[in-house]
Amino acid sequence: MSTTKTGSIPPELHELAGEYVLGTLPAARRREVQARLVDDLQLQAAVHAWEDRLLPLTGLVEPVAPSPRLWARIERSVDALAPPAPRPAPHRAWWRWDSLALWRGLTAGGFAIAALLAAVLVGRLAEPPAEARFMVVLVAPDDKAPGWVVQASASGARQVELIPLGVVEVPRDKALQFWTKAEGWSAPVSLGLVTPGQTLRVPVGQLPAVQPDQLFELTLEPRSGSPTGRPTGPVRYIGRAVKVM
Amino acid sequence: MSRDPPIVTALPEFDYEATLAACAAGERAALQRLYAQEGGRLLGVVQRIVRDTALAEDIVHDACVNIWTRAASFDPARGSARGWIYSVARHLALNAVRDLAREVEVDDDTAAALDARASLEAWHDMADAFVWQDSLGRIGPCLEQLEPVRRNCVLHAYVDGLSHGEIARRLEAPLGTVKAWIKRSLAALRECMG
Repeated sequence: MSTTKTGSIPPELHELAGEYVLGTLPAARRREVQARLVDDLQLQAAVHAWEDRLLPLTGLVEPVAPSPRLWARIERSVDALAPPAPRPAPHRAWWRWDSLALWRGLTAGGFAIAALLAAVLVGRLAEPPAEARFMVVLVAPDDKAPGWVVQASASGARQVELIPLGVVEVPRDKALQFWTKAEGWSAPVSLGLVTPGQTLRVPVGQLPAVQPDQLFELTLEPRSGSPTGRPTGPVRYIGRAVKVM
Repeated sequence: MSRDPPIVTALPEFDYEATLAACAAGERAALQRLYAQEGGRLLGVVQRIVRDTALAEDIVHDACVNIWTRAASFDPARGSARGWIYSVARHLALNAVRDLAREVEVDDDTAAALDARASLEAWHDMADAFVWQDSLGRIGPCLEQLEPVRRNCVLHAYVDGLSHGEIARRLEAPLGTVKAWIKRSLAALRECMG
């Protein structure tokens, strides 16, 4: 963002951006700003400027040593998502060049889902066989924009992880509810309510192991969840499990 | 909180921008370097806001996964790489406490308990320990120009993740006054820092 463009930002926008970065906006206003940030370049510039202005204040906080488990958890999550090997230089250049478009595509909808899945699947084929895992990319039904990734292991301490690829907007009086249904089940089973932008981890020891093609979806429900125990609202994101090794 | 001058955080030898570019290129070692460099401070910043060790680690986990998946969307023309990294983590932490606050706002007992807990956090010791000019770079002198109570509002918000209402209770000041202080402090900081 050039300084000439930021120079034309009205004071109210600087004020809104400042309160947003400071953290003093109430939850509903925060979500409004997050929604606007997707395509409001002036607001983006104002927010970035405040992030850099206030960043030194993080130096007033003492660091806290993370538990040794934390990095292992991060690695496991990244394993399931990332292109696995460092790329040679020309390839890296491609990624860097294309990455903006790729990730804009991910939020705006489009083909990027294929690139993501291809990267994961190709990467996985090149690795030695590990325990069977399943992966699901949940996309919006209307524009096929990927919004979430689900990872599940088929054995061991079984847990399903729902990982956001971005921030989604949910009306204030509503909540997203996470469901799954395998072939032969009479109805979807709730895996809980979802906080937009945050990973949800659900122990699924009580459920049968994840199967190929098992359905996962997020529906829009009342804030306290579906009153009937079955999905009642519109499907916001949906996908089927793919086995990755 | 110690009265020693805080450690200066700028570490010019670590190239945040190149590290994010390497993350975008799929280099896991880059994420690990970033974690080794900033993991402890990220956790400190997040834990200060959410005031829960386990939740703070969950949020730093989510932040690192976010940084990894979104590294390619970072645009150096728009701001610093380190600022972007912290914005990802603070964003998740603030969402977590604001969503929680929606639940407890109607509950006076919970609010009172939060206040009591907050009052244990020895804010005054920390205020005494600030060494603005030496540790904070350009924002230091600008913060110093603010009245202490207004400066405290800004720091309670940014560092402690407190809402307007929580700051008003902590400072025993009217909510409207706190809102006005913060608004004017932000304007003054922007004026001072450009």
